Amino acid sequence: MIRSFKFWIGCSILFGLIASSFIFAIFFDSEVRQVQLLYDENKNLIGAAPFDPSLMFPLGTDRLGYDISHKILQGAKFTLLAAITTGVFRVLLSFIVAIPLAFYMPDKVRKSFDQLLSSFYFIPLTIVAVFILSPILNEQIDAQGNPYFIYSFIERIGLEVVILTLLVVPLLGSMIGNMMASVLKEDFIDGAHLLGASRWRIFRKHVMPHLLPKLIIVWCQQCVQVLIIFVHLGYLKLFFGGTDIDFSPFMADPPKSLSNEWSGLVGDYYTLIQANPSIALGPIIMFGIAIYSFQLMGEGFQQHIQTRHVKRGKKAKPRSKNNTVTVGKTPFEFLQNRGA
Amino acid sequence: MRIFKKLILQLSLTIISIILISGLPDLIMNKDVSLYRDKITAVFTAVIKLNEMTYFNQGKERLFMGDIWEPYLYSLTILFGALIIAFCIAQLLTWCTLMLPLFIRRVVKNLLTFLESLPDLLVFALVQMGIVFIYKKTGILISNVASLGADDRIYFVPIACLMILPLVYFYKMMILLAEEELQKQYVETSLAKGLRRIYVLIVHVTRNTSEGIFHFSKSVLWFMISNLLLVEIIFNIHGLTHYMYHDFRPEMLAACLILLVIPFFLVYALFEWIITHFTRRGEAI
Repeated sequence: MIRSFKFWIGCSILFGLIASSFIFAIFFDSEVRQVQLLYDENKNLIGAAPFDPSLMFPLGTDRLGYDISHKILQGAKFTLLAAITTGVFRVLLSFIVAIPLAFYMPDKVRKSFDQLLSSFYFIPLTIVAVFILSPILNEQIDAQGNPYFIYSFIERIGLEVVILTLLVVPLLGSMIGNMMASVLKEDFIDGAHLLGASRWRIFRKHVMPHLLPKLIIVWCQQCVQVLIIFVHLGYLKLFFGGTDIDFSPFMADPPKSLSNEWSGLVGDYYTLIQANPSIALGPIIMFGIAIYSFQLMGEGFQQHIQTRHVKRGKKAKPRSKNNTVTVGKTPFEFLQNRGA
Repeated sequence: MRIFKKLILQLSLTIISIILISGLPDLIMNKDVSLYRDKITAVFTAVIKLNEMTYFNQGKERLFMGDIWEPYLYSLTILFGALIIAFCIAQLLTWCTLMLPLFIRRVVKNLLTFLESLPDLLVFALVQMGIVFIYKKTGILISNVASLGADDRIYFVPIACLMILPLVYFYKMMILLAEEELQKQYVETSLAKGLRRIYVLIVHVTRNTSEGIFHFSKSVLWFMISNLLLVEIIFNIHGLTHYMYHDFRPEMLAACLILLVIPFFLVYALFEWIITHFTRRGEAI
């Protein structure tokens, strides 16, 4: 059982967001409230959309009067689940790549391989992701002027997850490979070899227990990274699952997200930053909360690993009562009683 | 000599992978491998004959190398400036923090975890809003919040935006590494010998953590180049990535990324050489 306070806070925030999003979808059919004009009891007009954040609209409304908090609730499941699955794929694939790197390659080959892969540090992820994803996610226009997507909705989501995964596998793979190799250098592995353990047994019984907790921490970090990329892509109007662009020549609507997921909301509302900053910042702050909870999870889990073998329950008692004999304020004092 | 060979190999691998990536959108759009091959060869020849490459600016076709130097140097100034300032401030703050008692350090670390999770876009927005707010209240314009055109250079805002998050990352990493280092035996020995704590911290601990920080700074840089694109778009700065984003062809992407990568590559190779040169003395145990 994980006893870290931080871990459970992060976990419950994320779980709460996803669960409430699903509840909202199942019981309320994800209906976003729309209030364009607001009257008081005497039918006097007191306000019109966009509303700033208040008790009635926790995150305000947009220009058309749609409640942003409802939109965020609707989109939470897409964004968070996408980040979590992308993170899982990243770690899993890199792990699979790392196994041969650590087990079958001599140290020298692995080191030089590592050097080669570190050249990927100079390929900025957001720029490349924007570049590759823009033909997939942007709605295209054909010769007749009808908008269309090259890929279907499911394919788009799949491709986005796959591309965001593949771009980091070289770096992450070599990192996990190094972790594995450092476990393999421990003394107890030599012992196991001498006792006749096969490679598979060493992998399963000795390497995995050491590696698994570290992989969970890496997973948390990767989820954070994916969320940051979602923010970037959202700002650059590439929304998760496709961007709906209005190609009509007159009064074209701004590009909008198909599913109200968060990066779409970031992209939609960032233009309001000067007029209604509190509305524009809402979705970004939600991203911040999600990122913070992943960080808390990672950090809490790390604490758990470091302290899991420490017995709790009986708190260490003060060593002895003799120490607490107070000397009082006299001109003469024993120095060792102060621990100096 | 061996380092030199390794450097060439690494650099060429980076360039090749950039070129391979630059062809990918065509592969995805047309689902045809032979077209992909054609595209890659086209990009490759364009990169080799870089001084003949053209690009489109406001509907006109212009020579790439003629126009790119100024924005290129401008972008590099912003990036290097932000990286160096963030590193220096983080180092100073780390030294100050490690002199403080334990419970304050714990508070600082928790605060850093929180700051670390601010999305970068939020930081940019807050800086932008903060400057406008100060201007409204006091009438003092610290800096322009947007550049007006290609000839208008602003330095303060982009560097401030780019350095905040790397500063937090560096600061946290330095504290973690230094605390780990402080538990080692030699620190205790030197403290027992009567050396001042600040001396041990600055001379020994910093030197021994420098290698870890160096490797970490690569991923910070990785993150910063991505941020550069956003900063240049938000503040309308006509830097390298601005040009790249407005003419998003494979050739352009490859050329710009390669230009952006080379100076950092050389700097990092130099630092790596220095660090391996200086830490080898301690390794002979």
